[in-house]
Amino acid sequence: MKRNNIILLVEDNADDVELTLRAFRSSKVLNEIVVVSDGVEALDYLFATGSHAGRDRKLLPEVVLLDLKLPKIGGLEVLKRMRADERTRRIPVVVLTSSNEERDILSSYDLGANSFVRKPVDFAQFADAARQLGMYWLVTNQPAGM
Amino acid sequence: MTRTVLIVDDSLTVRMDLAEAFEAAGFRPLLCASIREARDALAAAPTIDLVILDVLLPDGDGVQLLEEIRTATATRDLPILMLSNEADVKNRIRGLKMGADDYVGKPYDAGYVVARARELLRQRLPEEESILAEKVTILVIDDSITSREELKTALERSGYDVITAASGEQGLRLASAHRPAALIVDGVMPGMDGAGVIRRLRLDAALRGLPCLLLTASEEQGAELTALDAGADAFVRKEEDMDVILARFAAMLRTAGTAPGAASSLSSPKRILAVDDSMTYLQALASALRDEGYDVVLAHSGEEAIEMLAVQNVDCILMDLLMPGIGGQETCRRIKASPTLRNTPLIMLTAVENRQALIEGLGTGADDYVAKSNEFDVLRARIQAQMRRKQFEDENRRIRDQLLHSELEAAEARAARELAEAKAALVEELKYKNRELEAFSYSVSHDLRAPLRSIDGFSQALIEDWGDRLDENARNYLHRIRAAAQRMAALIDDMLLLSRISRAEVNRERVDLTSLAKVVAEELKQQNPERVVAVQIERGLIVNADPGLLRVLLDNLLGNAWKFTARTADARVELRTQTQGEDTVFVVNDNGAGFDMEHAGVLFQPFQRLHDAADFPGTGIGLATVQRVVDHHGGRIWAEGKPGAGATVFFTIPHSRGARQ
Repeated sequence: MKRNNIILLVEDNADDVELTLRAFRSSKVLNEIVVVSDGVEALDYLFATGSHAGRDRKLLPEVVLLDLKLPKIGGLEVLKRMRADERTRRIPVVVLTSSNEERDILSSYDLGANSFVRKPVDFAQFADAARQLGMYWLVTNQPAGM
Repeated sequence: MTRTVLIVDDSLTVRMDLAEAFEAAGFRPLLCASIREARDALAAAPTIDLVILDVLLPDGDGVQLLEEIRTATATRDLPILMLSNEADVKNRIRGLKMGADDYVGKPYDAGYVVARARELLRQRLPEEESILAEKVTILVIDDSITSREELKTALERSGYDVITAASGEQGLRLASAHRPAALIVDGVMPGMDGAGVIRRLRLDAALRGLPCLLLTASEEQGAELTALDAGADAFVRKEEDMDVILARFAAMLRTAGTAPGAASSLSSPKRILAVDDSMTYLQALASALRDEGYDVVLAHSGEEAIEMLAVQNVDCILMDLLMPGIGGQETCRRIKASPTLRNTPLIMLTAVENRQALIEGLGTGADDYVAKSNEFDVLRARIQAQMRRKQFEDENRRIRDQLLHSELEAAEARAARELAEAKAALVEELKYKNRELEAFSYSVSHDLRAPLRSIDGFSQALIEDWGDRLDENARNYLHRIRAAAQRMAALIDDMLLLSRISRAEVNRERVDLTSLAKVVAEELKQQNPERVVAVQIERGLIVNADPGLLRVLLDNLLGNAWKFTARTADARVELRTQTQGEDTVFVVNDNGAGFDMEHAGVLFQPFQRLHDAADFPGTGIGLATVQRVVDHHGGRIWAEGKPGAGATVFFTIPHSRGARQ
């Protein structure tokens, strides 16, 4: 199982995608960022099935940024399936969400999320959060199994 | 279960006679000749079930002992049957007034005394228990001792208790005294025959359900028809094999499903009050009726009769028309005027056929009218008829009552069910509404914020990337767009918080309010490090409340105080308590912008703001949220203020009042 520098961003809102990418750019996070827009595609990417069938399945992302409100398969379900599979069990997952509903936070951690970030309306705060994320997961954190 | 009966009588003959009768009936008799002995026996044997008590005893008055028994806690409820001279009406009244359960006059019939004792004990027991306590008892009525004993032996071998009677009349009396589970009766007997016995039983409300097996003689043509006509449940030819009889009997018991009736039996010992000024006639009458198995109570005048009726229930009254004192007619009128006595059959007696007296007697309410004679057959028949009439009336009344009662119960059950259903529907609706509201606020928190993020984010991107190409005016507009988006985001958050707190359950625990307030104040300082505010928090404030909700409360109250002192030099914020009556009132005070008391009424309503947003930004939801928190804890909240002179918010958190759901 190999890891490369890919960040998988699972987000259906194009504006949020754009703003997130912008925040990473301004925070000097230089990793390759793969964007998928729903839960099904996220799983396809991770397990190299469906629309991502041709992909080298050994290449797994460094970190997954996961929105909770997703079309087709929701974020929590994606997280559950990731944690149930040996291949994806240890990939760090950061849950990104608009709400700060307690139950979202609790279920995310229950299902094995590594971090929970509420998307702030204030872009400056968002950029800040993205920067911290990048620092923590891509620099400070030693991925398991390396 | 052997029951102990204490027999107190100075006559050895009476003691031995009663002891024998009670022993034969399965009781354990305990004999005493004097009050002193009886006292000792009562003290020594606490398990006495019943007392038979004579009035005239060598060392005192039986009524005196009765009073002692009734006033002692241990024996207060003991059934007591007084036994004394029939003619002594005063003693009977005294005894019953003192609380004797029953009174039997001497000369007595031992079997009758036992029957009364059984009846008294049966009344004490809950019905179920009395059924369970008794084994299945079968009554066998046959005039031939040989076949009687033969049947008894066979039945006892099959596990039944058997009592036997040699005649139809005796059988009927035993049936009402013992309430057997079933009856086997010989069809051919001198006097009342088997069909007659069954017919009589079927007339009696308490015994009509008794399963009856009739033994018929083969030579008699149409015996089966007679048997069924009389109401027998089964019949069997007498010369059949004993096994056939037993099998037939067992089958009948199975199908009958018997339960001893609750109604008092028509054939159970009935009490008749005989009122006549002639002692001779009274004695003759009493003797004739006693032979029939009646208990006879005597009274010598109308006045005595009324006094007696006040303490003793009777089943029938025989009243002489012509007596000294108030006389038969007036006595009858008074008895029939009493609500408790008017249903008791009253038969007028007179020495002569007197048409006028008859009409007057019946006019005052007498139920029947019989000419006096020394032949008592007619009188007996009339008494029987009157009692049967009363029995039917009583039964009708009981059925009516039961019907009413069950209707009432059904109505109550219906009402309770409807109430429960309505309540369940309401709760269900409330749950549904709550779920709907939760889903709604969940969507709001997700979906309403997303566009705001875009508005804010792209405005910021414009400023960052193209800021140098925009003039001051354009940059100003972009800043305003961002401020509006953030303000709306704050509004959404506050509204969601308010709605969440309105639905929140209160989980009380011990909360250190002082520490919590210090944490909040510290956060405020960190958010505005440039501000210098003197924060004073009283030490040792402990409340029993929901910590999460209290945090929201302090965030808002201290946050407000912090915010409204922004333009005050020497800003001061304070949390303390004061005592008001029995309540501890928490006080959050500041020396900030204050407010006009004229607007105090709208202070706690959502979206009401008393200050310009430019001066003091805010959503106007904070105090509404605080009020809900206090409300959830069963407390009160109010505020005082003066423009430019600061504001003070008071609230209470009652110690343990149940939270509203």
